[in-house]
Amino acid sequence: MQIFNSGLFWFVEGVLCCVTLLGLKAWAQDRSIPTPWWKWVVLVLWVSLAGFTIAFVGTSFGEGESTAAIRGGMLFGILAVLSGVGAWRLWMIGAGSSNQVTDAKP
Amino acid sequence: MSENQPESGVSRRQFLKGAGVVSGIAGGAGLGLFGYAAGRDPHTYLGWQNEQGASQTFYRKRYEVEEPTYEVVGPTSRPDARVENIFARRGSFRIQYTRVKEGGEFEEPLKSYYDNHPQDLELDIINQEEIMPRMMQDQATYGDQFLLAVAWSSAMGAVSPLPISGPPQEADFPRPRGGGMMAGGMGMGGAPQPLRLKDPAKTALLIKKLAHEFGSTLVGITELNPDWVYGYPLRGRGFENVDEPLEIPAHWKYAIVVGTPMSWDPMYANPNYGTSNDAYSRSRIIAARLAAFIKALGYPARTHTPGNSYDLMVPPIAVDAGLGEHGRHGIVITPELGSNIRPAIVTTNMPMATDKPIDFGVQDFCRHCKVCAENCPSGAITLGDKVEVRGYRRFKVDTAKCNNFWTSNLGNIGCRLCVSVCPYTRKANWLHRTALKLTANDPTGLSERTLTALQKGMYDAPDPQTYYMPSLGGENSSYREPPWWLKTEDFIELEADHADL
Repeated sequence: MQIFNSGLFWFVEGVLCCVTLLGLKAWAQDRSIPTPWWKWVVLVLWVSLAGFTIAFVGTSFGEGESTAAIRGGMLFGILAVLSGVGAWRLWMIGAGSSNQVTDAKP
Repeated sequence: MSENQPESGVSRRQFLKGAGVVSGIAGGAGLGLFGYAAGRDPHTYLGWQNEQGASQTFYRKRYEVEEPTYEVVGPTSRPDARVENIFARRGSFRIQYTRVKEGGEFEEPLKSYYDNHPQDLELDIINQEEIMPRMMQDQATYGDQFLLAVAWSSAMGAVSPLPISGPPQEADFPRPRGGGMMAGGMGMGGAPQPLRLKDPAKTALLIKKLAHEFGSTLVGITELNPDWVYGYPLRGRGFENVDEPLEIPAHWKYAIVVGTPMSWDPMYANPNYGTSNDAYSRSRIIAARLAAFIKALGYPARTHTPGNSYDLMVPPIAVDAGLGEHGRHGIVITPELGSNIRPAIVTTNMPMATDKPIDFGVQDFCRHCKVCAENCPSGAITLGDKVEVRGYRRFKVDTAKCNNFWTSNLGNIGCRLCVSVCPYTRKANWLHRTALKLTANDPTGLSERTLTALQKGMYDAPDPQTYYMPSLGGENSSYREPPWWLKTEDFIELEADHADL
């Protein structure tokens, strides 16, 4: 369990985050989805909420507060799903408007 | 297959996208595991990294205020411990009650007190006539499940410094002994004259460092406000006549406040599995060591330690010393330990720089939160506003109701539920540290209300009435499950087990 308090853990998390963002960027380019700065802000905000939800559930279970984990997971999870739908719609603005030809559907 | 696609069928771009998905999932899982580890991490139970002062983590300077967060609203006075200290009053009550039942009268100051506080007389009689006998019966029937908890509490309370041997004019001053072992011929006792200290600020740093070395989680220093000294001394404090007013000695100029938490897992299993004895014992020993150190430098020092060996009220002095703020439940709430602190005090005149009180939002928080009051089985903690007590405006706890639950409780004596349920009494992990920072720095009060609502909505708690013993309609509930090492039934064959064989 000590690994999760270490700098190495957060280094690995950072690498995973970078790879995820690169993959997302490639996916957006393939689908001709424009990626202005504000979409990345929206993404960071949503990832923060989703990450908080996951960490909250884990922490509460770790503390032995299973009721808080379940109730908090449902509350923040629903918020994350709803805001995720909103974030998705914002991200898809402008999808397919480019003339670039891809095999992806908008 | 496109031209830039290798024979394996996966292009670099496709690999990048796939890796992105996998990384996102792995990163999320990592956060979940991080959270689980943070929740379980015993290092986030503050109080055990004391030697280097590592437990005093809160940056107090930012929250310092000139005046403490309690308010002075009228002429102030000192408390009369003989009747306002619940243990002292009930001790005198028990001695006199048999005679009163036979037609006699209470002696002063009990008589006047009961004339002015008839509800306390009623509660004291209920305690004596109903609660104590029932507790003895229930203890015999249901008490076995708490055998390990009681044994553990007894063990923690087994080591204690020598009691105070005399009045302040005698017992507080160093008695030089031997000689030659240290500079100035101090030997193993105190220096014959107070040593000349270079700088009060440096002395304060030295004392705090030593308090941590001796095991204190938190330490603060303040000038002693005479209003917190008892008007009359308690028994067992070395005073010849406890009915003579306590004259505050001139050498009680400063108060050094130290404090340690109760062991965390049993504390969450209050009111019956937890104990105060562990933190009491630690704080007593820390205070005794500090007093010995100060005396060795030639200055007078006197300890004021839990359970009830005091000449003064501790919580407001801890507030003055910047350890925390006074909560609705009458306990000092500290940023590091929440309400889970058992303080002790050393009074001295050794010149030291003092700390300032702090304001990190507890007054507003307690005004709205009320979790302790809602979970208090005895109703001793008010749901109402602050009231004036001896010229100070603060939340007032009904100590007679509180003690009536204490003495009805099976397992370890006491209750401490208000400590367990307090939202500030949480592990020092990312979740609760973030909540603390939010409430301490949000002037709008929005975060405190949101967090209180989340606390009440997400964290469950037994019905307060189920904490009572069975003969009073309860179920011996505890706030949380006891730790594995206090579950008697897992280690000892109880009579109920024999019956099942």
